[in-house]
Amino acid sequence: MTPAAVQPSAAERTEAPVGAPAVEAVGLSWTYAGRPRPALQDLTFRLEPGRVLLVLGPSGSGKSTLARALAGLVPHTLPGRWAGSLRIGGLDVASTPSRFLGERVGLVFQDPDCQLVMARVDDEVAFGLENRGWPRPEMRARVPEALAEVGLGGFELRATNTLSGGEKQRLAIADILAARPSLLVFDEPTANLDPPGMHDTLAELGRLARRREHTIVLIEHRLEAALPLADDVLLIDDEGRQLAFAPADDVGRTAVSMLERSGAWVPRAWRGLDREPAVAATSVAARDASGTEPRPRQVLLRASELGLDYPSDESGPHCALDGISLTAESGERIAVVGPNGAGKSTLLFVLSGLRRPGRGSIGLRAIAAEGEPAEDLRDPARLRSREVASRVGLVYQDPELGFVARTARDEVAATELATRTRRRGRVDRPPDSDGVLARFGLGQLASQDPFRLSQGEQRRLSLAALVLKPPAVLLLDEPTFGLDRRGTESVMLLLDELRESGQAQLLATHDPRLLPRCDRVVALDRGRVIFDGSPAEFLASPPYSPAGPWRDAAPVGAPVPEPAR
Amino acid sequence: MSLLPAPLGPVRPDFLTRVTPAARLVAGMTWLVASVVTLDPVVPVRLTIAALVALVLWSGLPLRRIPSRLAPLGFAILSLTALSILLSGANADRSLAALVQLGPVRVTGPAVSAGLAIGLRVVVIGLTTVLVFGPSDPTRMADSLVQQLRIPDRFAYGTLGAMRVAPFLADEWTLIAAARRLRGIGSGGIGGRIRDIGDRLLVMLVGAIRRAERLALAMDARGFDSGIRRSHFRELRATWRDWLTIATALAIAVAALILPR
Repeated sequence: MTPAAVQPSAAERTEAPVGAPAVEAVGLSWTYAGRPRPALQDLTFRLEPGRVLLVLGPSGSGKSTLARALAGLVPHTLPGRWAGSLRIGGLDVASTPSRFLGERVGLVFQDPDCQLVMARVDDEVAFGLENRGWPRPEMRARVPEALAEVGLGGFELRATNTLSGGEKQRLAIADILAARPSLLVFDEPTANLDPPGMHDTLAELGRLARRREHTIVLIEHRLEAALPLADDVLLIDDEGRQLAFAPADDVGRTAVSMLERSGAWVPRAWRGLDREPAVAATSVAARDASGTEPRPRQVLLRASELGLDYPSDESGPHCALDGISLTAESGERIAVVGPNGAGKSTLLFVLSGLRRPGRGSIGLRAIAAEGEPAEDLRDPARLRSREVASRVGLVYQDPELGFVARTARDEVAATELATRTRRRGRVDRPPDSDGVLARFGLGQLASQDPFRLSQGEQRRLSLAALVLKPPAVLLLDEPTFGLDRRGTESVMLLLDELRESGQAQLLATHDPRLLPRCDRVVALDRGRVIFDGSPAEFLASPPYSPAGPWRDAAPVGAPVPEPAR
Repeated sequence: MSLLPAPLGPVRPDFLTRVTPAARLVAGMTWLVASVVTLDPVVPVRLTIAALVALVLWSGLPLRRIPSRLAPLGFAILSLTALSILLSGANADRSLAALVQLGPVRVTGPAVSAGLAIGLRVVVIGLTTVLVFGPSDPTRMADSLVQQLRIPDRFAYGTLGAMRVAPFLADEWTLIAAARRLRGIGSGGIGGRIRDIGDRLLVMLVGAIRRAERLALAMDARGFDSGIRRSHFRELRATWRDWLTIATALAIAVAALILPR
């Protein structure tokens, strides 16, 4: 099938130079030391200079391992077993010391905060050049050039930690461009960014791709933006095996359906229109109409006029939250969106009662049992520790920070055990952790250490831990961050299940693909609510300026991924 | 005070900011040595005065911020001084007159002077650290240590990278505590508290190690420590200012030790 979007950008490109292939893999396999199964199995492909390769595959398919191999980190820095061969511009990766590879390959990682080394922008760009022993006059000339190439001219003396997410990622690109490598590798460079940062970074990638000066390997799950840049695609399944390597406009239907079955995000252009699933009717109104909403609706969270100031510094006082009012009713799912720094995470933290707002008030209540009157709304900061758990829960973007036990089984039982009231003369039954784990697809992992689970499993466990004692209001920070289609879908299904109890859910998210699965969107900007309405309204005219990044990122009219089968 | 060489905020260019960090370090060492080789409280008093003069006249540091930076050290200074006075052997010497006599507690003049000497030494250490680390950013410090004192790259820039991620740890500590409270975890009692802190530390450590691994990988991907001799973007070379600073600091240290009272 031929995605129409590929044509225009391919047409404006010049022909790639002829020569040795930029990348040539023959039967490439890699197994990390101590792992039973290979991360990559038998990859064979050939990428010509100046072309852009998009690598697609589900979580755990070895995409990042391939990026590391291209940069020589595998096998030179990380231990493991290597088989087959990988050549970059004719150089054999396994037998070439990494200092010679470094001249040819540049790698950009997904988390800007874990790849910037220096405190100042010019030092940061120079770091890679210093490592390669560049003479000082050449570095002095090259650093401003590289910064200008990514639109950061004049940023030389800025502190790296004052840059926005998009700026940090462009700086990381300048870092690798500085050494003039011929192969650029991007490992999900937009995964940690908000829509403006993502737009920014993808635009930079687009410019690089059109210049045709570099060969580019791109691992990216924002497919609607990435696919049009690609000349070739490499599809990998969940066991690190190659499903296909082909020109982007000539991928076989079989390969695509295999990729889809493995749980990866698949570009919309590749999915036949006949297979486009309908939007799941999950809004409160729809469930009310169908009579499946068992309880009367009640307000579980009411926040009025919340205000919070950051401590003031040289540049004056900052408002983190500025007059935010918000209610959430039982069974309601609200998306909280906004650029980085808009106050989303701070708002969740304040709503949970863990941080007192400077101004305004918050009320929370537990879900009333059938036939019982609802309790008064209570200030979360005044609740005792054992009363909090049934009223509000908070799941972080990094689920590890919330783990409290050494096995998955204990993790699920922890809250129930800690808050259970002991009654004299009665032996309490142990909580049914294993049943919950089984329902969440974690049955095999009950005795595993939560820290050893995969990213997707950790996310599911963090939700499973809320099942036995479900909080009335669940606050989630980027609950699907970094997950593939299957992972995202399973998290959303689990949230649906948790909501059955009448739970209200607030999720802070950058992923517009989730919005159709929410009842309301609350959009923040600089600590204020600038929009509170339906997802359809939000996607039709995003309240941000420029609105482009928010609209482009949104699959308007397209549903969230269909359930994994 | 944070002993990490964290910048104190905007520093205006001044004499000491132009001195290379390695020279400031060597100069500071002379004062530290001078303040520990004698028990005479006069030496740390003189050095404290000298340090304050240097701080105000030549450091370029924002003076407003220094008291808050030194405040945590204040507690250590006070408790150390008090303990040294109370536990001094001189108190047991019956031939000395007691300054204070409260039941079994007896404090003599020499005990007070010895205690003050110890407390003032900590003051000198604190002020000297500010003078050494305050006037320049950590990157310049690392560059200077590598270029002038031949400290290994891996150590200097590895530490620099670690310092960049250190602020995240403080945030994570709060988030971990918050998550536990919301889940009703955390038992009372001293034993429970200690266990609680242990659990939180473990979670933080796991995160810190992951972060460090990722940063190390990113550094390696950019050719760090790959067997090539590193060059330097910022060149630091000793100037007359450096030698003047070291010579002056040494002269002050010697003077503080040998000048008659």
